[in-house]
Amino acid sequence: MGSVKIFVKPGCHFCPAAEKIGEILKSEGFPVFHYNIETPDGLAEAAFYSVMATPTIILEDESETTVAQWRGVVPQLDEIKSYLR
Amino acid sequence: MSTVIKLDDKLKAQMADILETTDMALFVRTSDESMHDWEREKIVEALMRETVIDRDTAILISKEVEAEIIKSGIKMVTAPLIRELVNAKLIEKGLEDARKMHTRLGMPIYDVDQLILHPNKENANVPHGPEATNLTLAETIKKEYALLSVFSDDVSDAHMIGDIHLHDLGFIDRPYCSGQSLEYIKKFGLNLPNSLSMAKPAKHPEVLLAHMVKFAAALQSHFAGAIGWDAINIFFAPYIEGLSDKDVKQLAQMLIFEFSQQAVARGGQAIFTDINLYWEVPKHFEDVEAIGPGGEFTGRKYSEYIHHSHRFVKALFEVYMEGDGSGRPFFFPKPLVHITEKFFKTEGHEEFLNLISEVAAEKGNTYFVFDRGETAKISECCRLSFKLDENDLKDAKQPWRMRYCALQNVTLNLPRIAYKAKGDDSRLFAEIYRLMELAAKAHRQKKDFIEKLLSHKEKGPLALLTMERDGIPYLRMHRATFLMGMLGLNEMVQYHTGYQMHESKEAFKFGLKVIAHMKLITDRLSKTYGMRFVLEQTPAESTAYRFAKLDIMRYPKEAKDVIKGDISNNEIYYTNSTYLNNSVEINPIERVRQEGLFHPMIEAGSLTHVWLGEAKPSASSLSNFIKKVFRFTLNDQIAFSPEFTTCNSCGRTSRGLSDTCVYCGSSDVDGITRITGYFTKISSWNKGKLGELKDRYRNKAFINQGEI
Repeated sequence: MGSVKIFVKPGCHFCPAAEKIGEILKSEGFPVFHYNIETPDGLAEAAFYSVMATPTIILEDESETTVAQWRGVVPQLDEIKSYLR
Repeated sequence: MSTVIKLDDKLKAQMADILETTDMALFVRTSDESMHDWEREKIVEALMRETVIDRDTAILISKEVEAEIIKSGIKMVTAPLIRELVNAKLIEKGLEDARKMHTRLGMPIYDVDQLILHPNKENANVPHGPEATNLTLAETIKKEYALLSVFSDDVSDAHMIGDIHLHDLGFIDRPYCSGQSLEYIKKFGLNLPNSLSMAKPAKHPEVLLAHMVKFAAALQSHFAGAIGWDAINIFFAPYIEGLSDKDVKQLAQMLIFEFSQQAVARGGQAIFTDINLYWEVPKHFEDVEAIGPGGEFTGRKYSEYIHHSHRFVKALFEVYMEGDGSGRPFFFPKPLVHITEKFFKTEGHEEFLNLISEVAAEKGNTYFVFDRGETAKISECCRLSFKLDENDLKDAKQPWRMRYCALQNVTLNLPRIAYKAKGDDSRLFAEIYRLMELAAKAHRQKKDFIEKLLSHKEKGPLALLTMERDGIPYLRMHRATFLMGMLGLNEMVQYHTGYQMHESKEAFKFGLKVIAHMKLITDRLSKTYGMRFVLEQTPAESTAYRFAKLDIMRYPKEAKDVIKGDISNNEIYYTNSTYLNNSVEINPIERVRQEGLFHPMIEAGSLTHVWLGEAKPSASSLSNFIKKVFRFTLNDQIAFSPEFTTCNSCGRTSRGLSDTCVYCGSSDVDGITRITGYFTKISSWNKGKLGELKDRYRNKAFINQGEI
């Protein structure tokens, strides 16, 4: 199983919705990683994935290859799950 | 009317003490080219004037110094020697602050001798000659003055031991670099403080060019570094209308030659000039009323002059393509072409991209600046750029208001931080924070000093920067930027993680984390001190060598494993800023992509070099490369750097670096390529940069495969 990376920042309007999706996925057993881009670790990871907007959700497979991404938008939960199955 | 002063007994005794001078057959050679009899009270006067010690102590010191001189039997002393004897007494008495205030600045005769005879290698942009020697001598004294008098001891000490580098200390009484608009002189003419004559706004293109060159020279004598100009082809356009193509080409030729030959004319440093150029009319200038001959509004908008701005920018690149009289690339002015979404939507862009790519392949001049999305910026210095914020875009309606400056640059020695941290993350990040706080302190001290100079307005030393032709001072201090540079990220990561950034994903990510940490600290410092701190990729022409030299002395065990270059002949250096190792064979697009991942965090601008060596890519593959960089990376700016050999005997220039001329066989040749952000002769490079030059990977295999 790959992983879900969620990039947020405080005060961003749509970030809570992205974080909520992350919590649901985590509760269902998917490996989810949250990154606050106002911390060094979060900003470094965001730089590595060229994240220029929040929220951003990136799905990677086991070999750390990106399989889907949503930048500056929040997808439907089902849409993400369709890539995770 | 006379004044009667009654002296009390104590004061009388003190005066008698001062005036009672031993009758000595001793002469003092002073710094004002005269010889005086010995007067001990001069010591007292100087101590009272220059320090804050009490009179009794001053008198005591003067007597002790006098006694020592008598004892030595010397018949002639110099004022500097007396001063040093006094300083020794101040130290003996624990009066260190007074000693500092009483310091004499200057140089040993041996050093002056060396300076007059040998070229300055700290800045390859300074030619060797009497005027340049004056510059270096003045810089040396001002540097000492800055370290003793402008900065606090902790800041100065950190600089001297090499934890940080305070750039351009020799120009302590000037801001660092600036960007301006041609509209200022188009609207107000050349009306400068202290000028012997005032020129009204130019009516002819050649006169406008003359005003531009003179204003640039005036600005250069008030700034330490680059003088940038925004949207030159757009602002020249109203003057181009009506000129034949031949005349436009002539004007372009004059502009480039005028700026490239200023060093010869002035004798000092060349005017480090950047000209920002656009194929499109940027959105923020589209509806701006154009200023034409005589400083009058023409009644048309700049968007209506696009045809003439195209003619001028094409002519400029035709001149760059030809090179100078020997076919060499022009060192200055550096042309920075902005590649934007609108660039690709503007008619004729393919042909223009091909032209500037051809110039990049042939001569290397073109800098490609990528402004993605809605970003608008102007670029200065080697890579320093100013991103235009909301207020700037408001200013754009009156473009003469658009002038920017960075006040100072302070660079952190990143590898040394890793040596001190000994593999401990917490110590490493804490040390970065400590040094950035110290750098912020240095910036505040420089700001206070410059503000003091500016407070004298048009009667002060920075009169030019205080002129208010448009109602506000030319130097807009409230918009000033304070630069936080970094050097040797690759070596820091290598020492700390065991891998260089190109060797492992974890090492690369650690590099990103360091810069992310620095970026967040600059944001925090900006809020704390109400100043705009931003990260910059320091060009580090001499700092990369200086830090490496200091570390090999202070941390030999740690530094020897990561330092780059050849330790045996002292050609050592650290990798510049956030660059990947220069010597490693990495696909150039991958290098541009990876280095570009750092760029969004480095607000003051970044650059990736693509070293070409003697190989020459085709214009079409180079323009495809540019399109890929724009679409698929976050890289801020790239430059392609070929190498040349120019013959002083036959006057011809060939591709690649060689010891002899390929045409006439003469060994009287000069190598030319980019040292950091500009072209220069290799003979003027410092040892560190020579070491780097030997290491540079020149992308030959990828050029042969058509990747670039």
